[in-house]
Amino acid sequence: MTVPASAQDIEVELLEELPSIGREIARALVPTRRGGPDGSLPDRRVMVTDLVQDADRFAAYSRVCGFTLRDTVPATWLHVLTFPLQVHLMASADFPLALPGLVHVSNRMRLHRPVGVGEAVTLSSSAADLRAHGSGTQVDLLGEARVGDEVVWTGRSTYLARGKRPSDSPAQDATGPDLPKNAPEAVRTSPRNGGEPSALWRLGGGLGREYAAVSGDVNPIHLTPLTARAFGFPRTIAHGMWVHARTLAALEGRLPAVYEAAVEFRKPVLLPSTVGFSFAREGGGLGLCVTDRAGSRVHLTGSVT
Amino acid sequence: MAQARNAVIVGGNRIPFGKAGGAYAAASNQDMLTAALDGLVARFGLAGQRVGEVAAGAVLKHSRDFNLTRETVLGSALDATTPAYDLQQACGTGLETVIQVANKIQLGQIDSAIAGGVDSASDAPIAVGEGLRRALLRANHARTALQRARALASIRPGDLAPETPRNSEPRTGLSMGEHQARTAREWGITREAQDELAAASHHNLARAWDEGFFDDLVTPFRRLSRDQGLRPDTSVEKLAALSPVFGRGEGATMTAGNSTPLSDGAALVLVASEEWAAERNLPVLARFVDAEVAAVDYVDGSEGLLMAPAYAVPRLLARQGLSLQDFDLYEIHEAFASTVLSTLAAWESQEFCTERLGLDAALGSIDRSRLNVNGSSLAVGHPFAATGGRIVASLAKLLSEKGPGSRGLISICAAGGQGVVAILEAV
Repeated sequence: MTVPASAQDIEVELLEELPSIGREIARALVPTRRGGPDGSLPDRRVMVTDLVQDADRFAAYSRVCGFTLRDTVPATWLHVLTFPLQVHLMASADFPLALPGLVHVSNRMRLHRPVGVGEAVTLSSSAADLRAHGSGTQVDLLGEARVGDEVVWTGRSTYLARGKRPSDSPAQDATGPDLPKNAPEAVRTSPRNGGEPSALWRLGGGLGREYAAVSGDVNPIHLTPLTARAFGFPRTIAHGMWVHARTLAALEGRLPAVYEAAVEFRKPVLLPSTVGFSFAREGGGLGLCVTDRAGSRVHLTGSVT
Repeated sequence: MAQARNAVIVGGNRIPFGKAGGAYAAASNQDMLTAALDGLVARFGLAGQRVGEVAAGAVLKHSRDFNLTRETVLGSALDATTPAYDLQQACGTGLETVIQVANKIQLGQIDSAIAGGVDSASDAPIAVGEGLRRALLRANHARTALQRARALASIRPGDLAPETPRNSEPRTGLSMGEHQARTAREWGITREAQDELAAASHHNLARAWDEGFFDDLVTPFRRLSRDQGLRPDTSVEKLAALSPVFGRGEGATMTAGNSTPLSDGAALVLVASEEWAAERNLPVLARFVDAEVAAVDYVDGSEGLLMAPAYAVPRLLARQGLSLQDFDLYEIHEAFASTVLSTLAAWESQEFCTERLGLDAALGSIDRSRLNVNGSSLAVGHPFAATGGRIVASLAKLLSEKGPGSRGLISICAAGGQGVVAILEAV
């Protein structure tokens, strides 16, 4: 059903429950003419109200990502809860970019206050800022979690559709060089650890399936080598949001009660593999990166403030 | 506050330390701890007696050993009414148990105690894979046959592989050797210096055995009467021929020869009040003076994993009004030769002592002829929780031989970035 939102002058598509990501992916695979009348973004907000969080699934999520199981949730868990709404929107016929092929290139979210796993959350997602960017088109999927009327979490996931670049904009490698100029200090050689990662994570071949089971993100590129190859990857790749969650878990004890976390996804992590993690204090926050075990090839950079 | 009474080291007993997969391959932690305990009981005539308490621990522990020390007491010659408990602080376990019981004796809560630890690298626990374990637990919790069948049916072939035991820090995924290799590089510890320290450890231990130093400190077990890893004929030249096993490339200096081998063994110390010892005509080797534990944040790489003793010692010295040079003997646990050398280098460093420790000047160097004079872990071996008891008993005896007032410093690094240090003084 569609009702006008009271707060903003934007339509709200209210769902009874979180949609199944698998079904949404299947829906998106059906060929169709995409986009609104003028190729614009859908201007509605997809919403689920007063969702009771699944405490058992949260426990499994905490285990898979390396979090200590607590009664409060990490910011990445609220992303996991809003993700089906994102996918629902991106799989809709009036979304101008095809879901298969959309690459999650960066993510930013803010935990406005500690959120308990026992709190019912009202989740919503909308699309914004469709723009030409480098080798294609970028779009932001905005997420929000409220408890009652209070905004407790906001997120912005940026996706890139390659090859959709308007003809007059210059070509550019979307993933950029391995070590960007603005890479966090943690990436850079430190005499103390000889430029080697401060920690190594050994990631098993089944990690994609484990994370799919707790996050609901059943994108085939994460599930089996065969399905990953069908989408052009040599092997299964780790979910970017697992890598992100794992970095927050590694920083446990150093995270403030409320924080903003921002990451850029660079080279995908092929499974199984061993990757390196480094972090360092930067200004008032923490800079972090995930690399290969030698510390040279960059998978993810980010910061927490 | 009333002046606390003294806690004194009466003596100690250990079994010779074995190589992993060696003489004690068939022995469990409880077997080895019982052997050390029964030897100690025999040595000091404690059979059938109730001791204040027995405190011990093991770092690598089977879940069935949840009450390891109490079970050991029940199977030993001690009176079955002797209380016991397990304590664990990684490689600091043995020394921490001594600190714990010494504090209780000083407070008058108990008059006597036995403290130490045991570890087996041969009989290490192997865990089943997480998938299998969770499925079995679900089956165990199931209320109906159908639920149980469903839980068991969820087991996949991949779940059947055992969890590989890893000797690595959980938060970094790096082994202790990989951590120490970074510290050694930071402090510029050379291969030659490490090999010299390792050779000295073997030569000193061999001499001590030949002199009969361990005659009243060790009980043979499983046909082993000397430490199995001891190589009396090793030399700097022989050690120089070994290839590095930790670190990478040009700067890799750590070999199997200058790193502690995985070992099996148990060691215990008898601690008491002076009155308790006097009543039984038992010797008093040394007084337990004081102890300190420090921890460093090695997770962010700002300090080396095994550098915590470098922080604990100056705090202890300050509290006791002592300088680093006020000791007749130093026992610095040789986790790796480079650990000892990095710690000494840190205390000699003006920059480290002023910036990291907040001192006015460097602590300075020590007289190296007073360091690990009867060998240490490189030659003896290092069954993690047993090392503290070994060092306390040996140092107490050495100090006693030197005469009243002679003072010794113990420094033990531990996993998790911790360091346990203590001072003993001959009575």
